[in-house]
Amino acid sequence: MTFYADRPEWKDVTPIPLPYSENEPVVQIMYSERFKDVYGYMAAIMQKKEYSERALNLTTDAIECNAANYTVWHYRREILRHLQSDLQDEMKFTESVIDDQPKNYQVWHHRRCIIEMTGDPSQELDLTEYTLSSDAKNYHAWDHRQWVLSQYKIWDKELEYIDDLLSKDLRNNSAWNHRYFVIENSQGWSRETISKELEYAGAYIKKAPNNESSWNFARGIIKKNKMNYSDFPAFKELCVGMNESHIPSPFLLSTLADINIEEGNKTAASNIFEQLKDLDSIREKYWTFKQDQLQVGS
Amino acid sequence: MSAADPIVETDEADMEDKAEDLPKQLLKDKHSKFFKHMLGLLPEAYQSHDSSRLTLLYFSLSSLDLIGALDEITDKQKKELIKWIYSLQVKPDHEHGYSRCGFFATDSLPESIDANYGHIAMTYVALCSLIILGDDLTGVDRESIVQGVRALQLDSGSYQCISFGTESDARFVYCAACISYFLNDWRGMDVEKATNFLLSIQSYEGGFAQNIGRESHGGSTYCALAALQLMGKLDAITEESRARLIYWCLNRQQSGFNGRPNKPVDTCYSFWLGASLTLLGAKDFINKECNFSFLMTTQDRYMGGFSKWPGYLPDPLHSYFGISGMYVISGEVEVHPALNISMRAYRHWQSQCTS
Ligand SMILES: [Zn+2]
Repeated sequence: MTFYADRPEWKDVTPIPLPYSENEPVVQIMYSERFKDVYGYMAAIMQKKEYSERALNLTTDAIECNAANYTVWHYRREILRHLQSDLQDEMKFTESVIDDQPKNYQVWHHRRCIIEMTGDPSQELDLTEYTLSSDAKNYHAWDHRQWVLSQYKIWDKELEYIDDLLSKDLRNNSAWNHRYFVIENSQGWSRETISKELEYAGAYIKKAPNNESSWNFARGIIKKNKMNYSDFPAFKELCVGMNESHIPSPFLLSTLADINIEEGNKTAASNIFEQLKDLDSIREKYWTFKQDQLQVGS
Repeated sequence: MSAADPIVETDEADMEDKAEDLPKQLLKDKHSKFFKHMLGLLPEAYQSHDSSRLTLLYFSLSSLDLIGALDEITDKQKKELIKWIYSLQVKPDHEHGYSRCGFFATDSLPESIDANYGHIAMTYVALCSLIILGDDLTGVDRESIVQGVRALQLDSGSYQCISFGTESDARFVYCAACISYFLNDWRGMDVEKATNFLLSIQSYEGGFAQNIGRESHGGSTYCALAALQLMGKLDAITEESRARLIYWCLNRQQSGFNGRPNKPVDTCYSFWLGASLTLLGAKDFINKECNFSFLMTTQDRYMGGFSKWPGYLPDPLHSYFGISGMYVISGEVEVHPALNISMRAYRHWQSQCTS
């Protein structure tokens, strides 16, 4: 592509060269000629506060050189506001950057700003679903999706979406977290809801007893809502049953230990910690400490 | 238990294969070369790091400091570095007041551009770097930094990183706490609001997320805990929450650490979780040997530095956190777990920068 310095339509602009020293370099990046050209003009345009179509195109190039440049993104939004541009083009532009760099903070923030400007979140679920289809745990995509959901209150299809994700990968911790988020914000955690969700998580726990995600969910919905295991006898039965079938799972054992402590059965809890020292040997010191703690507390 | 449900998901056959040839120690000479090189010229591929250039400087300096190689930089070069860092400090002006104040990441856009603002993470790494270099912070315009930080706090108690409006999350609360601590001036933070925000991001899993409702994450857990510690509010976490938090953090260890359940282990989480557990007084529960063995698989024995995963190319971030993660857990070199600088640098700060 032609350098800005060689374009007749940019003749009226004098670029501001980047300070660049190979003699006394301090974490000096050896910028490409293109980068120097684009940023030289970018600086000049921002200096004179030009908000024009050509300035908008220049920011596209500057973002292509370095999509993490938050100053350029900010300036791009100022241009869009001044020009009252068609934001559908901007939606397409952000989609192409997201596709290319799905973990870039600036582009996701920009996308949110655009949605706030249009007030139209109708494409966001598809966009994040698309991003999550290649990386189901992308934190930025989840953050954006959850922001959209709480901002525009579109909860109706979410549990189905989670079912779909968990059927593909029951270890998708982001999907479990999302389940907590959706229920918390759409219906709240009544005792009945917790019971139902324990049943849901329980089915996954049986399928994969060493899946930390489903255990965290089950235990989390009880504890975060300040309830006790004794409030949910079916869940306790599930754990006891699995233990009787000798299913080796540190998560199962540590849950049983908690249940026993809650019920005041210290000897049983101590025996479980003894087993954990062996089964979960990487955390042996921790389980020893938990075992010792039983004595201190008595 | 089905074969599809292993307790630990690692490719053990692959790891065992190479384990014997791996070095059994930190290759300090290699790392020293790797980071000294970064202090000078960086290849074009680093263009996408231009907006966090100051962070590259901090990673290099703090690594050299931790491995005891800081003296391999000449005094002349240290002076150059200090001069360059100060050149990135944004001065207050009529139009913006203090709202742009802080440090820039880089000098590729001039200060005269109105849209160019200081960034709170850059202010944090600038102060760290100056302290590591032995500067006494007299060149810091304290009032403008404090007011600049203040301009970034939101009603929720959280912080954005630039006052023209950006994303906001636990990372920037952490930066605000470190800056306030370094300057011994907390006017830039409503501590009560910030505390409430941090407590609100502890998820049902026990770890902390970047924001309310998001997924627990090793990095945000560190940011929240370290900030609370610096703010003197660590005991605002209830006993029950603390117990679940420790359990969640310890479960991140598989060999090295991962950042979330069912994610692969990654070099940088040795620091995020190692330091978090240190702040929680639970460091002794870490299996040091396993962590060390994992880090030996991501240490690059030819180029120096560490990669995120075994078999990948080293990068500055994982190289720094490989070293600081190893030391924060082993205790062989003392690391300040909340400020993320060496205890040597911390003592220098105590004696020279707090007057
Ligand atoms: Zn990492």
